[in-house]
Amino acid sequence: MSGYIFRRVLAMIPVMAIVALFVFSLLYIAPGDPAAVIAGDQASPQDVERIRQSLGLDRPFLVRFAEWTGQVLTGNLGTSMFTGLPVTELIRQRLEPTFSLMFVTLILAIAVGVPIGVVAAWRVGSWLDRALMALGVIGFSVPVFVVGYLLAYVFALELDWLPVQGYTPIAKGLWPWLENLILPSIALGFVYIALIARITRATMLEVLSQDYIRTARAKGLAERPVLFLHALKNAAVPIVTVIGIGVALLIGGAVVTESVFAIPGLGRLTIDAIVRRDYPVIQGVVLMFSFVYVLVNLAVDLLYTLLDPRIRY
Amino acid sequence: MDRRSVLKGLGAVGVGAAAGPLAAPAIAQGVKTIKFVPQANLANFDPIWGTQYVVRNASQLVWDMLYGMNAKLEPQRQMVESEQVSSDGLTWTFKLREGLKFHDGEPVRAKDCVASIERWSQRDGMGLMLRAIQKELTAVDDRTFKWVLSKPYPKMLMALGKIGTPICFIMPERIAKTDPFKQIDDYVGSGPMKFVKGDWKPGATAAFERNKDYVSRSEASDWFAGAKNMLVDRVEWVIMPDPATASAALQNGEVDWWENPIPDLVPVLKRNRNIKIDIADPLGNIGSFRLNHMHPPFDNIKVRQAVQAAISQEDYMRAIVGSEDALWKPCPCVFTPTSYMYTEVGGEALKKPDLEKAKRLLKESGYAGQPVVCVVAQDQPITKAMGEITADVLKKIGMTVDFVATDWGTVGQRRASKSPPGQGGWGMFHTWHAGVDTATPVGNIGIRANGDKAWFGWPQNDQIEADIASWYEAKTIEEEKKIAEKINRGSMEHVSYIPTGFFLGYQGWRTSLEGVRSGPLPWFWGVKKA
Repeated sequence: MSGYIFRRVLAMIPVMAIVALFVFSLLYIAPGDPAAVIAGDQASPQDVERIRQSLGLDRPFLVRFAEWTGQVLTGNLGTSMFTGLPVTELIRQRLEPTFSLMFVTLILAIAVGVPIGVVAAWRVGSWLDRALMALGVIGFSVPVFVVGYLLAYVFALELDWLPVQGYTPIAKGLWPWLENLILPSIALGFVYIALIARITRATMLEVLSQDYIRTARAKGLAERPVLFLHALKNAAVPIVTVIGIGVALLIGGAVVTESVFAIPGLGRLTIDAIVRRDYPVIQGVVLMFSFVYVLVNLAVDLLYTLLDPRIRY
Repeated sequence: MDRRSVLKGLGAVGVGAAAGPLAAPAIAQGVKTIKFVPQANLANFDPIWGTQYVVRNASQLVWDMLYGMNAKLEPQRQMVESEQVSSDGLTWTFKLREGLKFHDGEPVRAKDCVASIERWSQRDGMGLMLRAIQKELTAVDDRTFKWVLSKPYPKMLMALGKIGTPICFIMPERIAKTDPFKQIDDYVGSGPMKFVKGDWKPGATAAFERNKDYVSRSEASDWFAGAKNMLVDRVEWVIMPDPATASAALQNGEVDWWENPIPDLVPVLKRNRNIKIDIADPLGNIGSFRLNHMHPPFDNIKVRQAVQAAISQEDYMRAIVGSEDALWKPCPCVFTPTSYMYTEVGGEALKKPDLEKAKRLLKESGYAGQPVVCVVAQDQPITKAMGEITADVLKKIGMTVDFVATDWGTVGQRRASKSPPGQGGWGMFHTWHAGVDTATPVGNIGIRANGDKAWFGWPQNDQIEADIASWYEAKTIEEEKKIAEKINRGSMEHVSYIPTGFFLGYQGWRTSLEGVRSGPLPWFWGVKKA
């Protein structure tokens, strides 16, 4: 197992290198000029050019790429062209809100999505199954921002139960932290719940038709242990895979959710950086997200061995 | 007690048991804080290096100015106690007020002013003019500095007190010595508030705390002039990119003041009895249709005049502000309608669209169907709305349109390109100019017609340039008004650019705030929170 982990960690190096080259090249050829944004509308073309030079944007691609790669290898993601702050510091400021949002959403999605999928499979073809799957279709179809606005309107503006926007660090208390995350997590989790519910239902249907399930029922086992101990455990591998893949969905959804609920997370940092063409920040954030995604995939692969003893690396 | 407080209490009981050490810390009592939603993200904090309005608006709290403009756009003494100008108009001597201190406790000295002026003047239009005639700028003693020129400059005080970016803010010498093309990272000023660097999360929040040592003037507060008394302890800027969220937060009382509600959301806010809505800036904005004078088809004056004859300012303005008549007016002028420079002399072509005349002019021009590359930023509602109207107008008069839908960042880059439109260049783009900038030729970048050195589009017309230069030498308002007529006529005839109308915007605040005023910037001094 440790050999497998070592090989996977080694394999991350070329993956991250390719991501780095891809992101850097993409930004290099993408239109837009950070110097023009910094200088503002009142600046003369000469001022814009001076700023471009001071930012080093007039240097050749290879020189800039080599310099940036050298920095990254020493753990330095560079400095934001706009704020003058280190990219690592900007990412650090934004990590907690985004990871909190993703964590609460993940818990919510698993806690709701898996039981829905199990119940739908258990009552396949019934009105309950159809109702739950219809809910799933809605979850897939309604954009995050629509759900977000609706939730904010009902629960914040009309009922005044929860805040409209913002984020409170967990250090200031568990409830203040959670209070700000409830609505965004529901909005972001909607599609994720639908995804998990559908895959759980499909996998459970397959497992429930297996002989050992029939045997469990034949020996008089109650439905709950049949469903949750025998069937769900054997259906877990594809579900965990989808949850892992869904992290990418969460990252993408977080960008919109953070904007709708004014959460100062990495999603908004990314959008702001893209709009302004703050290249070091975009590169840093994309690298970090790629790293997280690769790590999640590794964790999912390792989880297989816990869920299915037949899997060995 | 409202429902949320009850829920909060229940939540605290329920979750608190599990939270243990994570319980909320006590919040300092009696600290008056204004939560403010600005027009944009405070992505940098150097008012000389980055000239965005949002940076200027934040900087006014931290850095003070030698002169401040009042609502009549007259420069008034601010940090300066007195000034003297020699009889030949060549030597200006400024004396600072007593007791001025920076936030680090150091007194404001004349050498700080000299260094600040040096840095500012390398980035500002008026500053560059002054540098061109500067013989000497030196500190005489701690409170006095002298500026010797080779030619009189009657607009000196206007230059030092101008509201348009970049403003001549006074910084400590050690900060002001920074290259004006490099960003500062030390935010010590002498203004009425201190910048809380540790609370600055670009894209999320910025905070300012009252400077208890600030020595305010005794005159009544009037825009940048007079007293700058802070009546709250803290101002927090909360960045909200989504207008619907900002609207909901204002309605819910999570923020106190929103700088620029979009017209679509204003009716909802007006229905809320806890919110006041008013015009944000009486000087408003002028929409701009910028043409590329360097390349076909707009290098041909007849083509420019054809387009000018075709446009309806009402169409543009309705696309921006909707049906509210109070938010716009026609503007056949390159100066702000509420300023003393406003004139309609020469603006006849913009008063009524004439498609037949436009088609005739286009035919006379010999236009051969070259595509007009319209570079239109879709992420800015104002430019998007204007761009769609323009594409329609150009097609109506028989022009070929190459509509490039893009974002503002790309427009910013592409408009700087002097390449032909088909090779990465452009034919036209839209923007808008703040009325405070277009109130006079100072900061009115759109009117410059000095070719290569002019603003994007690079119009070239020596007469307009001569008229602008003569304005800087004018000694009376009457003289300035006459020159304004010449500049407007010249700009309209040459079609340096096409003003698409004058429009205003709203601001909204909770009734718990008192003292919110209209102006080109959100003025925080004199604002009280109940």
